[in-house]
Amino acid sequence: MGLLNPQNFIYGLSLALLVLIYLRARSRPAIEVSSLMLFDEVPAPVASVRHLRIDPLFWLEMAALAALTLAIAGLYVMRPRLPGHGRIHALVFDLGAGMSARDGSGTRLDQARREAMDIINQAPPGDEFSVIAYALDADARHPPTANPANLRGALGRLAPMDVPARTAALRAALIRARGASEIDLFADRPPPAAILAGAASAARVNFHLVGSGDSNLAIVSLDPGIPGSTRGHAVIRNFSARPYPCELAIDLGGRGEFHRTLMLAPREQVVVPFGPIRSAGVLHARILTPDAIGADNDRYAYAPSDRAAHALVLSPDAAVRDDIARVLLAVNANFQIETADPASYLADASASGRGAKPLDLVVMHDCYVPVARAASTLLIYPPRPAKNIPSAAAIGISVNGTLASADISGDAAGKAPGIESLALGATRIVAIPEWMDLIAAAAGPAHSPIPIAAIGRGPGGPVGVLAFDVRDHLLLAPDHLDALVLAIDLIKQLTAPRDILIVPTGADVSIPATGSARVTQPDASARTVAADKSGRVRIRPLQAGRYTVESGGETTNVFANYYDAAESDLGAKSQGEANAPAEKAAAASKAQSAMEVQPLGFILIALALLALTIESAMLIGRAGRWGMRHV
Amino acid sequence: MLEARAFEPEFLRKLDRLVLGIKRARTVRAGNRTLGRVQGLGIEPENFKAYAPGDDLRFLDWNAFARFDELMLRTYRADRQVEVTALVDASASMGLPERDDKLGLALAIGASLAYVGMADNDAVRIGAFSMRAGTMKLETTPFHRRRESYLDFKPFVTSVKAGGETRIAAAVDQLLTQRRPAGTVILISDFLVNESELEDALKRLAAARHEVKVVHVMGENESTAAYPAGLLRVRDAETGEVRETVMGPATAAALRRKVEKIATRIREICTTRAIAYVRAFGAGNLESIMERELPLLGIVR
Repeated sequence: MGLLNPQNFIYGLSLALLVLIYLRARSRPAIEVSSLMLFDEVPAPVASVRHLRIDPLFWLEMAALAALTLAIAGLYVMRPRLPGHGRIHALVFDLGAGMSARDGSGTRLDQARREAMDIINQAPPGDEFSVIAYALDADARHPPTANPANLRGALGRLAPMDVPARTAALRAALIRARGASEIDLFADRPPPAAILAGAASAARVNFHLVGSGDSNLAIVSLDPGIPGSTRGHAVIRNFSARPYPCELAIDLGGRGEFHRTLMLAPREQVVVPFGPIRSAGVLHARILTPDAIGADNDRYAYAPSDRAAHALVLSPDAAVRDDIARVLLAVNANFQIETADPASYLADASASGRGAKPLDLVVMHDCYVPVARAASTLLIYPPRPAKNIPSAAAIGISVNGTLASADISGDAAGKAPGIESLALGATRIVAIPEWMDLIAAAAGPAHSPIPIAAIGRGPGGPVGVLAFDVRDHLLLAPDHLDALVLAIDLIKQLTAPRDILIVPTGADVSIPATGSARVTQPDASARTVAADKSGRVRIRPLQAGRYTVESGGETTNVFANYYDAAESDLGAKSQGEANAPAEKAAAASKAQSAMEVQPLGFILIALALLALTIESAMLIGRAGRWGMRHV
Repeated sequence: MLEARAFEPEFLRKLDRLVLGIKRARTVRAGNRTLGRVQGLGIEPENFKAYAPGDDLRFLDWNAFARFDELMLRTYRADRQVEVTALVDASASMGLPERDDKLGLALAIGASLAYVGMADNDAVRIGAFSMRAGTMKLETTPFHRRRESYLDFKPFVTSVKAGGETRIAAAVDQLLTQRRPAGTVILISDFLVNESELEDALKRLAAARHEVKVVHVMGENESTAAYPAGLLRVRDAETGEVRETVMGPATAAALRRKVEKIATRIREICTTRAIAYVRAFGAGNLESIMERELPLLGIVR
């Protein structure tokens, strides 16, 4: 006998509360009278003094509350395991990239499948199994069934994804497994003991650790450099506890740029310089040496063009114009930048004839000037609408007010890669159209998120928005480097080719499309995806490699890179300290294998309901005796 | 509090309409209010009478003899004063129920009677008694005769607080030890005491040749048993005794019957001893009590 959730025993305080209420109700009001002589002829009460009254209603309520408290606390008894009789098992599989690691003849997921099938085959007739998988999210792949063929099919359809397995997804998977009397968890690394302990409170959890090797290499990052001028760098990491050779090849558009074999020391990370590459394009780095995980052996990067680009910077603040020009030159040293005050730009444009020159990028700070010849537009701190002044509402971006300060933190920061917390000054409250994707958000009035950075491809071309003001040299302030990172990221995306996207696996990608799009995945499988009402196709690359999205005669190449330091580190599970909690939890769970938990919650709730029903009946009876029409 | 009302000008004007009717001497039959004045050696001429042998020649009206040629004797009103003591019960029972302000009513009645009594330059005082910590505490004001000094009663009247036990007999004993001339004692109390104690007190006052008048004070809520319904724990304010009771219509009726029974019994005791008795139930009825009940007492008319 024990309690599954002993912390819930605190609800037992309700018993004390009931006693207090009872004592309070029992205490009679005392009044002082001039003389008891007046009460000489008053009939005596039923009982002159009652220190303890045996009130059945009180005891019934006590019994009901006690039963409910024990039910909430999870009172259970241990009983011998009964074969069959509808026992439900949950088979929970980790589908993170680590499960694709090859430790011999097959992958770790294959090993997990075999162990799962052994469990299914050894189970008594009548036992049912459900299949649940998790990586980025938890997903119930098959409802409980006793049919081995169906289970075999469901297990066969499991495939590892090139994404890390998130702890939150594991927790969600175990929540989905609630209701099962036994949970078998298959993963290549021990989960946090607290999660297992939480799941073990409701069911018996068997943890199956699969995989043994640690020979894995990964490309951590790839910097293409600047074509023709600056060398690129690839960062390679050896996760093995022994020296490991690494044959690294880097191609640009199918043409070899670099090919060398390196010897990496145990758990060493090296920076491999190469180039400078000869031209712009998609750079592909590959580790040719066979290792455990293949997904982190390929990495793509886009080398921007070094051609001269034209940019126009408009801002009423000369210092801001200067700062933005410096940032643009940092992104592309060949930018030809023109800066102007928006008030005088339009008048000068018609007089000097500058309006005819095409622009690759227009950056507007605290102003909006319709420039039809701009290929892409970046709005920084868009202006509030005013009479006779053009506003960004013309392209669907409306400004609803200004915050004196904004802070990107918590969940909002999670949307901005690499940004954990960013304190900003004056910030516009902007509403972005559906065709824009939110990159970063901050907490606005009433804690509603407001966009801080967004990008999308509108009818007039790519448009980016930075809602915060960049006056007072914010972009160049060392304490606000995250603001600079956001700005550079947007500028890079705005000036990048429209048909090339390089994203991490698991990221949500939206691509303009007309009607529907044909998506070809890295494994050459293809599917058709319908565009949403804003004319965009949304995909989530779960495999590393190249996706092709074809729609309306245009083709967009999406290159998905996978790297996760924790997931790729196959040797992490060999550390004794990391193993200890999970093994301990598993051992404790296995120790109970001869017995099984029999929760008494239903019985206790039934007893509580019975007590309350009896109390109701007694109340009705008393009401009847007293001649009352209601209780 | 109600006792302060007795000093308000408007209330005093109403009292002015009442006239003192205290009997001047016990030689007059009880209940015959103002007709008992006796001839005496006063300075206030009252009447003439024909001379009879043996009359004091000092009172012959020589002017009348000269005019009418008859021997006429001038008579004078006896120059005697009545000492009036308004004795108020200040025990704890007079303080309850608080909202009834029984003590305030008793003090207001006492002060009002004192005011009326002072209209004829009688010596009036107000006293309050209660047994506290086993000791009878009887406090009285000095005698005042003139209305100009009526306000001298105010500090005393407003300072009386309810507390202690009701011991009427002990209070009377202490009053009699002061050896004052026989006068009028107006006893104002709720009389929530044993009958024997009340009878004993009245007997001693009568033995001391005092004319006794009784004002029976009760609170309005107390006399109508307006207590909260339900199971109650009632505590005697004087003895501390506690009793549980279920307050309801039946109990309230029993309480009202008991109040009536007590009042009737006190009236019987007073009637037996030729003592004037009036009820003063309800602090809200102060003015009507003064106008309707007190004339029955033979004090005002």
